[in-house]
Amino acid sequence: MDVNQPKQEHLLALKVMRLTKPTLFTNIPVTCEERDLPGDLLNQLMKDDPSTVKGAETLMLGEMLTLPQNFGNIFLGETFSSYISVHNDSNQVVKDILVKADLQTSSQRLNLSASSAAVAELKSDCCIDDVIHHEVKEIGTHILVCAVSYTTQTGEKMYFRKFFKFQVLKPLDVKTKFYNAESDLSSVTDEVFLEAQIQNITTSPMFMEKVSLEPSIMYNVAELNTVNKAGESVSTFGSRTYLQPMDTRQYLYCLKPKQEFAEKAGVIKGVTVIGKLDIVWKTNLGERGRLQTSQLQRMAPGYGDVRLSLETIPDTVNLEEPFDITCKITNCSERTMDLVLEMCNTNSIHWCGVSGRQLGKLHPSSSLHLALTLLSSVQGLQSVSGLRLMDTFLKRTYEYDDIAQVCVISSKVKEEH
Amino acid sequence: GASYSSLILGPAPDLTYHGALSCTISICSTTFSSCPLPDIGVGSQVPGPNCSILVATGRSSPTEEFSGDAVKDLMLRFLGEQAAVKRQVLNASSVEQSFVGLKQLINSKNWRAAVDLCGRLLTAHGQGYGKNGLPTNHTTDSLQLWFVRLALLVKLNLFQNAELEFEPFGNLDQPDLYYEYYPHVYPGRKGSMVPFSMRILHAELEQYLGNPQESLDRLHSMKTICTKILENLEQGLAEDGSMTNITQENTQASVELWRSRLGRVMYSMANCLLMMKDYVLAVDAYHTVIKYYPEQEPQLLSGIGRIFLQIGDIKTAEKYFQDVEKMSQKWDGLQYQIMVLMNRAFLHLGQNNFAEAHRAFTEILRIDPANAVANNNAAVCLLYLGKLKDSLRQLEGMVQQDPKHYLHESVLFNLTTMYELESSRSMQKKQALLEAVAVKEGDSFNTQCLKLG
Repeated sequence: MDVNQPKQEHLLALKVMRLTKPTLFTNIPVTCEERDLPGDLLNQLMKDDPSTVKGAETLMLGEMLTLPQNFGNIFLGETFSSYISVHNDSNQVVKDILVKADLQTSSQRLNLSASSAAVAELKSDCCIDDVIHHEVKEIGTHILVCAVSYTTQTGEKMYFRKFFKFQVLKPLDVKTKFYNAESDLSSVTDEVFLEAQIQNITTSPMFMEKVSLEPSIMYNVAELNTVNKAGESVSTFGSRTYLQPMDTRQYLYCLKPKQEFAEKAGVIKGVTVIGKLDIVWKTNLGERGRLQTSQLQRMAPGYGDVRLSLETIPDTVNLEEPFDITCKITNCSERTMDLVLEMCNTNSIHWCGVSGRQLGKLHPSSSLHLALTLLSSVQGLQSVSGLRLMDTFLKRTYEYDDIAQVCVISSKVKEEH
Repeated sequence: GASYSSLILGPAPDLTYHGALSCTISICSTTFSSCPLPDIGVGSQVPGPNCSILVATGRSSPTEEFSGDAVKDLMLRFLGEQAAVKRQVLNASSVEQSFVGLKQLINSKNWRAAVDLCGRLLTAHGQGYGKNGLPTNHTTDSLQLWFVRLALLVKLNLFQNAELEFEPFGNLDQPDLYYEYYPHVYPGRKGSMVPFSMRILHAELEQYLGNPQESLDRLHSMKTICTKILENLEQGLAEDGSMTNITQENTQASVELWRSRLGRVMYSMANCLLMMKDYVLAVDAYHTVIKYYPEQEPQLLSGIGRIFLQIGDIKTAEKYFQDVEKMSQKWDGLQYQIMVLMNRAFLHLGQNNFAEAHRAFTEILRIDPANAVANNNAAVCLLYLGKLKDSLRQLEGMVQQDPKHYLHESVLFNLTTMYELESSRSMQKKQALLEAVAVKEGDSFNTQCLKLG
């Protein structure tokens, strides 16, 4: 990890130490009872040990801070902090010292030094210290390049560089799934549910401080990851506020197109931009990381030329009792249609009314509402299927099955209201 | 059936443990001898009962000599023979061959020598070196010696050695570990001779070997037995569930004993869960521990706060620290004040504010100048603030002022890490530390922290 230039006797030495947060020293408690042979001896040893918690020496987690012993891992979104020390190893005074620290990635070179001014002189055994911080925004190979230039007592100008290579890894695996809602009963808008699966692919636990969805201009977002408990917003994850390594968590968001985009909602085709996820996490002693995903995209479900969506349907109906539903038929094509409605029965669904009736002409991007009656002959969760629309102009039939689900109960079990 | 009250000896009823062998839990009352062992020359035999029954299990024998001094070895390598010769530590032969000598070795942190002395004393009990595989007679005293030896091996972090030496004892419930097995030595007494603390050690050892689940399993069965005993006592029965005539005050002593034992088991479980990084369960377990050790409530709540800091949940850590601050009515005094300041400092660390954390640690030093933790932590903060020289000055000052307390491996780890950061001449300074350690520390000193390779 440490690539140096060919050896040359320099008066100054450069040392670099990555400053991850310190860790807490843990003790191994060994106790006994008064009646045992050592009596109070073992307990006294623990009391005298400076690293135990006074008054609770059996507690393993102490209070002594220990400096990091190795470079560790570094992940995208975290802050890279490092101590850079230039020490005068010689016994002469050195002049005009300039220390520069740059970070080289595959795409850019950044200057990290706090000050760009030269230090006038550095006495023997003294040092110039700097702590640099950098929020890592790229994955892959990073090289910390430290350059030191100085002038010796005799006026000779000297220069050397040191390179420190490290890898930045990916901390999270994010998968997204989109679900289309069945039409909202109160307003005919297209709700889209986004499920974001976030997996911790680091080697230590992560506290998820904030996971939010920033919607694109087309949508309003409602997060569905908290519940209201006694007036307080409690996370759906309960007391498990952190992710262990390799654990996955799902977050749910509901996106509604904004009013001005709502009319177009019925005829959205192709790819739409939904928004992006903003994730903030913390690890040991509050070490912070932050990532944003790229813009999440959704392929609009193909509605084809004619879209049939459900407007109203009861949740629960009685066995063999007719019930009403209303549908909305939208012409998503560029041409006028002349539609004929056909109803086909299934094993459980029986339509009431006249099949094969004409619905009339439907112009492009316009819709009509349809009231239908049906009944179910089978108990349980039944799927409403069997509607067919035929475009008489093109002689094309569009089939609509599994439009919605309804719960069918025996009429002997009356719902309590 | 006959009542056992006539067989009860001694003033205070001491309960021994009865494991999985049978369903009854026996009473035994005796006090463990806390006087020094009779001065036995090494090698002489203790006359024992005529044991015609071959012991099925329970052969145990202390293995190998543990004496050695890592500090002296390093001195030979880095400081030369003249310096190494000056290093004087107590060893097993330089003290009285009794518990008095053992105590000296333990106190002076010459635990390797202490382990060896235990071995010699066990040899005197007929359980000497190389006697593995031969019939052994356990006594309460020999088991206590085993306990001390095993406890010291764990303190020395020699977990594999401890596991090896525990092996012949099985799950601590073999027949020859019960009083009933030695009717001539302990007439009428019943129950396990194994010290409760040895059972705790046996359970905890597994997590240090990388088997925390096994630790939890053992602790759970101990918890079950302790709970059952307490239930029996609460119902006015004897510990093993039988009818009893024991006085109220003796029962109370037994209840207190078993309650404290149950508390110790819960403490172990909480620590084990923490080691397994099962933070949710660990936090719950520590809350239970508070019920058994209410006097440790502020320390335990602060510890839970630190767990949340480790996870990265700074807000919940803050809540716990605030709860501790609210207890000022119940607790006061120096220790509590220090706890509150320590928590504040840790919260600042969690909020990335090293300057404020340094201020809080320094505040502790104002009221407790000798506080090792505050000193060490303040120095650590200085490093993060870019003040290497100041940090070194603080730690070196600590070590020079009070080497008895400050030559601790965690402090020395920090010191040597900073020496390596400071200059290429860190070797000299580390050797100077070695010299300081050589003067003060016993053979149990963990030399890894000196980073001399």
